[in-house]
Amino acid sequence: MTDFVFATAQYESGDWDSAPLVPSNVIDSVARYTSIAVAPSGVVVPLSSPSLFRYPLIYLTGHLPVRFSPAERGNLQKYAERGGLLFVDDHNHDIDGVFHKTATEELTRTYGAIHPISNKHPLYRAFFVFEDGPPTTSHELNGWGDNLVHKTLSGVERNGRLVLLYSSKDYSSEWGYHPENKRFMSVDNTKFAVNIVTYALTR
Amino acid sequence: MRSRAELRIPVEWVLRAALIAALAFALWRSLESDESHAAGRALDASGLTGALSGLLANPSVSSVDLTLDAMPTQVERDALRAMRRAGVTVNWHGVAPALALEADRLRDPEGRTRLLMKGETTPLALADSAGVLDTVNAASGASVDIQSVVGQVRAGHGRFAASVREPESVPLHAVLVLGRADWDSKFVMSALSEAGWTVRAKIPTAPGVAVSDKDLLPLDTSRYDVVIALDTTAGDFAPAIARFVAQGGGLIAGAEALGIQSLRALAPSSAQERRPGRILLAEDSVTPRDLPLRALTALRGDAVALERVPAGITVAARRAGLGRVITVGYDESWRWRMLGGSSGLAAHRRWWSSAVGAVAPERGIAPDPSGDGAPLAALIDVLGPASASSAKASNAPTNPLPIIILLIIPGALLIETASRRFRGVP
Repeated sequence: MTDFVFATAQYESGDWDSAPLVPSNVIDSVARYTSIAVAPSGVVVPLSSPSLFRYPLIYLTGHLPVRFSPAERGNLQKYAERGGLLFVDDHNHDIDGVFHKTATEELTRTYGAIHPISNKHPLYRAFFVFEDGPPTTSHELNGWGDNLVHKTLSGVERNGRLVLLYSSKDYSSEWGYHPENKRFMSVDNTKFAVNIVTYALTR
Repeated sequence: MRSRAELRIPVEWVLRAALIAALAFALWRSLESDESHAAGRALDASGLTGALSGLLANPSVSSVDLTLDAMPTQVERDALRAMRRAGVTVNWHGVAPALALEADRLRDPEGRTRLLMKGETTPLALADSAGVLDTVNAASGASVDIQSVVGQVRAGHGRFAASVREPESVPLHAVLVLGRADWDSKFVMSALSEAGWTVRAKIPTAPGVAVSDKDLLPLDTSRYDVVIALDTTAGDFAPAIARFVAQGGGLIAGAEALGIQSLRALAPSSAQERRPGRILLAEDSVTPRDLPLRALTALRGDAVALERVPAGITVAARRAGLGRVITVGYDESWRWRMLGGSSGLAAHRRWWSSAVGAVAPERGIAPDPSGDGAPLAALIDVLGPASASSAKASNAPTNPLPIIILLIIPGALLIETASRRFRGVP
């Protein structure tokens, strides 16, 4: 039996550590709502390291331009081939921003064309049910970024399973708070993170 | 008083009469040759088909001596068997290689065929109706998995070959995976669906909540081939699994699933405590030997160990009811796929697909009766062992009479002609 370990991707360019509170918050939600055995703390994994393959779900975010080194790109290609899921979130929530432009370029180069994911995708029913697709974040219309509500997430599938999930919704800001503060919220906004983890572990 | 020349005249008439008689006898022999030779015939196996119709139509044949320069076909063997039953003595001699060939359709979605063969020192040429497949050294037995074969498969060298027909395809049903929400469940499902199996699953994610395919039940062999119970979350299905195995379904039980009483009763072994693997040391080169292991122990009397590592037995199997059960001691096999280097992904997929194929029910595929998978054994079965005497005989009859006649004709002609010349008659 393997405990689920939440892993954050460390890449050579950009600010990979821009959302340090997300891991603990996601871990808290997984432990709170599910019976999935989850490690109490996350790990940081360099994309260029073979250690990447120990964590079949990995989270990547940032604000700054992204350039993968050849080693990082090669590892990610193998990671996708073997069935690992990379979840990328644009911390700028800005489709004109440098993170989005460079990250999607790099990811397309690594994974192939990225397509919108249907809002009926099993991802949205993996644990909680999100009838309208990805939940809107309070940051999408905060006056920063592109000020758009993104109706869908994007991704790449291999053998009928997601190997890349790309979000412009800035979940990194939405989930970037201490888990203790969930008690002050009327609706837990990290529930979709539980779906991502559950999807990765069961599909 | 008659002169000596006059005395030779009646002798010359006697010689002429003997000559004519000998010629007449030779002519009669030639017209009756089939019947006169029929008492015993020596044949080469390579010309057997052509000779058989004559032999079978000739009731006076009493024995056949067969030289094995090629392997008689099944039809030829049947004809020889029929002659034997009709009272004809059939002997054979010669040196034929002992060949054997068997074709099994593997129970996997790729529909591969496994060719099992045994030959002698010379490598066997494998071919099917579409062409050459491979050349295999099978002196101590060999097996080759072929993606697809067409028509008749043949293994042999020269005129000696074993042959079998392409086996029938096997209908496959779904595989049910039961396990908790972790990487092992996910990657077992991935491996099997990538290999082409239809995978259905129930993966509990919280009390009363599960990621599950619809209409999982009833669990029977008309819907499923195999159930994979990875851990104790299969407990809800345990009675249904026991019935399924009794019906002929296959079960693969992870060592942790042996915590379920009714599955333990079906399993070929019990499992030891978990032993950590060498994952941290192995980097991107993990093999099954590096995985955490719950070594299998206390094998039942009717169980067999299928895989071992130095630490102990890793896979064991037994029959239970009409079904088959495998216990797997490997833990966290997903690491083999994710950390197994360039070959890990395919090896993990192939391993799980093979394990499922090994316990999937055989759905009444009858062996093909038209095959000739062990021709030498079949020949011995029909004709008995090879004859000790080497009767590399010609087709000439053993009767000396024709030779005598052949001597009489020129002899009589020569003496009669000489006698006339001495008398001065042209």
